[in-house]
Order: sequence, then C-alpha cells, then structure tokens
Amino acid sequence: MAYDANEAEGGNPFAAMDSAMAASPQAMYKMLRDSSPVLDLGTMVLVSRRADIEEVFRHPEVFSSNMSAVELGNVRPLIPLQIDPPDHVRYRRLLDPLFAPRQVAELEPRVAELVHRLVDRFVDRGECDLVPEFTVPLPSEVFLTILGLPLDDLPTFLEMKDGIIRPPGDTPEQQAEVRARTASSIYDYFDHVLDDREKARRDDLVSRFLDVEVEGERLSRAEILDICFLFLIAGLDTVSASLDCFFAYLAQHPEQRRELVEDPSLVTNAIEELLRWETPVAGVARVTVRDCELAGTKIKAGEQVSIMLGSANTDESEFADADDVRFGRETNRHLAFGGGVHRCLGSHLARLELRVAIREFHTRIPSYRLAPGAELAYTPGIRSLAHLPLHFDTGR
Amino acid sequence: MKVQIDTDRCTGHGRCYVLAPEVFDADDRGNGVVLLDGPIPEALVDQARRAVANCPEQAVLVTE
Repeated sequence: MAYDANEAEGGNPFAAMDSAMAASPQAMYKMLRDSSPVLDLGTMVLVSRRADIEEVFRHPEVFSSNMSAVELGNVRPLIPLQIDPPDHVRYRRLLDPLFAPRQVAELEPRVAELVHRLVDRFVDRGECDLVPEFTVPLPSEVFLTILGLPLDDLPTFLEMKDGIIRPPGDTPEQQAEVRARTASSIYDYFDHVLDDREKARRDDLVSRFLDVEVEGERLSRAEILDICFLFLIAGLDTVSASLDCFFAYLAQHPEQRRELVEDPSLVTNAIEELLRWETPVAGVARVTVRDCELAGTKIKAGEQVSIMLGSANTDESEFADADDVRFGRETNRHLAFGGGVHRCLGSHLARLELRVAIREFHTRIPSYRLAPGAELAYTPGIRSLAHLPLHFDTGR
Repeated sequence: MKVQIDTDRCTGHGRCYVLAPEVFDADDRGNGVVLLDGPIPEALVDQARRAVANCPEQAVLVTE
C-alpha cells in the first residue's frame, strides 16, 4: 500500500492512491489523521480529522465552495453547490422542498419498478455484471424519470456525465478539452428540453423550474441550466458508486447479508452504517477565500482544500469502534453526505434509492458471491467500480 | 427532558425525524422541527436521545 503525495495532482488527492488503498482506504485515512491531519501538499490541503472537518463545514465564509474549488468544465457556477451564502439560501429554499423526504417518498413505487425491471433481465442467468446491468442504469433512470425525460435518453445521459467525471485523455489538457466539449453539450441538451417545456408544461421537475419563484422572481434560463448541470453530475455517479460499494461489501460478507435478508427492517440502519464505512463519495472540495489557520496549520488564500469525508467517518474520536461494521449501530453521526450549508441536496433521494434497491434486489436474489477470480478495481475519489461480476443461484 | 432544534445549525440531514418520528417532524424543506410542546413523555425519551446522539450537525439540543 502506498500513498505518493507527488501524484496527488489535478485537484484529486485520491489520485495518489493505489488500487489496494482505493479498495480499503480506511487505513490510509488513519495514517493521515495520526501523522498530518492538515496536510499541505502544495497543490492542495488535505483535512482528515473529524473535528477539523466540522470546523471547515461551519465556516463557508472562509472555506468556500465556489467554482475554484473543483474543475468540472462548467462556465458558470453550478447551482446550488458553487454558490456560497448568503445567495445560496435562496436556491436551497427553492430546491430543498423538491428533494425533501416527503416529496421523494412518492417516487418509491416507481423506483421499485425500475429495480425489478433491471433484475428481470439477469435473474434467470445465474450471473451478472452488476455495474453495467444495475448500479449504473438505476440512478440514471430514476433521474430521467424525475426530470421527465425518456428512458431512451439513457446512453446520452451516461455519456454526458462520464465526459465530465471521467473524461478520456492522456494529459490534463486533453481531459480539460473533453470536459469543455461535454459541458457545452450538457447546456445544449437541457436548453432543448427547456424549449420543449416552454411550449407545453408537463408534470416534471424541469417544468416546475420554469414556473417556480424565488423571492418573487422566476429562475432565469441560465439558472435552470446551472441546476440541471449539477444534477447530472452529482445525482448519478454518487448513487451508482454507493450501490457498487454496498453490493461488493454484501457479496463478501455473507453473514451480514443474511441478516438483511432475514430481517429487512435492518435495511435502513444498514445503509447508514455502509454509508459511514464505505463513504462512497470519499471527499468534497473547498477553496480558501482568505488566509486562515486550521488546527495550527496556516493555509493561504486561494488554496484548494480536500475534505476527507471517509476519514471523518472512521475517526476514533467520533466512533470508538470505528473499524467494526455493525448494522445495528445505535449512534452514527456520519458525514457521508457532507455537512454544513452544502449538505447533499439529493441525500433523501439517494437514501430512498439505496433502500429500495437493497430491499427489492434481495427479495429476488438473496444469495450471491463474487465471480471466481473477480478483482474489484475502485476508482479513487468517487469510489465506483467498472465491473462487479456476481454469481448466484437461480432457484430453478 | 425537553429538546429544541438549533435552526442555525440544522441543515436538513433528516436523522432526527427518521429515528424519532414521534418527537420530530420535517418542515417543507426537510429540516427538523420538534412536534411536542413541553417535556418529552417518558415513553419517547429513548428515541429523543437517539436523535440527539445522531444529528451530524449537533443541532438537536437537550434544553432541560
């Protein structure tokens, strides 16, 4: 296992992790907390202790989430992620109710239907590659449903999000070029959708954006595009990665999987524990807007700060038995959805998707294992898999 | 025991009303609100304590 800080380039401290570490990053988190909890790499500062991370989240006026915090190819700030207080709150007042628990609960039957539709395609085969067949399409189909877009647009959707999140290219310049081109195609795609909805409203989120008012004013076309752009890159990969991490864990821990199958009422709490332990979105980015000091370390204005959520979630100062994964854990103040004013807007939707996916999948396929010889290659940062080959009994 | 929510700290993680649905509810944004006026009945104290212990922002306060 090796962590080479020199490789932590391009705004992604996790790029320095080798594959063994990406699969089990908890030991690296501990090493950082114990040796250098606020680590200045020159290109960015890593923050790994729970208390310091809470401090960063509570001071958005110093640790900003503006456009300089992370490079995503967008030409205007994404809404609401890259807007800081005080403007931030007017967008959250508008968007929070659309993603509040009661609102997303209405989607539960539809999500269950999408889960079963996907499982139908491989349940009789006795094997599947869960990533392309389940964990990637499910969150995207849920999102297409919410936005009121046809499921046939799935390939276009996947191409757009991948062009931003994992752009092909050998050099940072090439990748930046792909990002810029993809970003422009995202603006164009949603521009056309908005043109359609301008002509005829439907019962979907895009139509609601056209009519909703924030403090007496409607959203501009640019603002709606900046919201849709964020949804596309924040709402799909993160849930896919969570499903990757959770199913990989359950495939390798048959006793705990049996607990869930025998008592589905454990699912809700198990998801919180897996969110804590796996922390699929391992970190979030901020940028300092002035010189400051964190835990005795000076940080200059304009430095990128990487908040290591996975480390906060395994910090012994918060979780005495941090390395035990217990679905019955009673106290779990994990920060898998971040914290402070930018707490993940989609967290309640993500929880619903994860809960329904885990519950319904196990009613169809209660017992499964990794295919022999399968090696799980986690991407760093957002901890997703390209393949998760599973074998299971078909019951026939 | 009485509880209140520090609205400056609450950012809508939603743990309180999931873990203690008889003590807390969600407002239209998904932020927590206390359902009960006055002291928490003995039967609900355990779930209220669980909500306090699980708030990621430490926004659920025990006032007395």
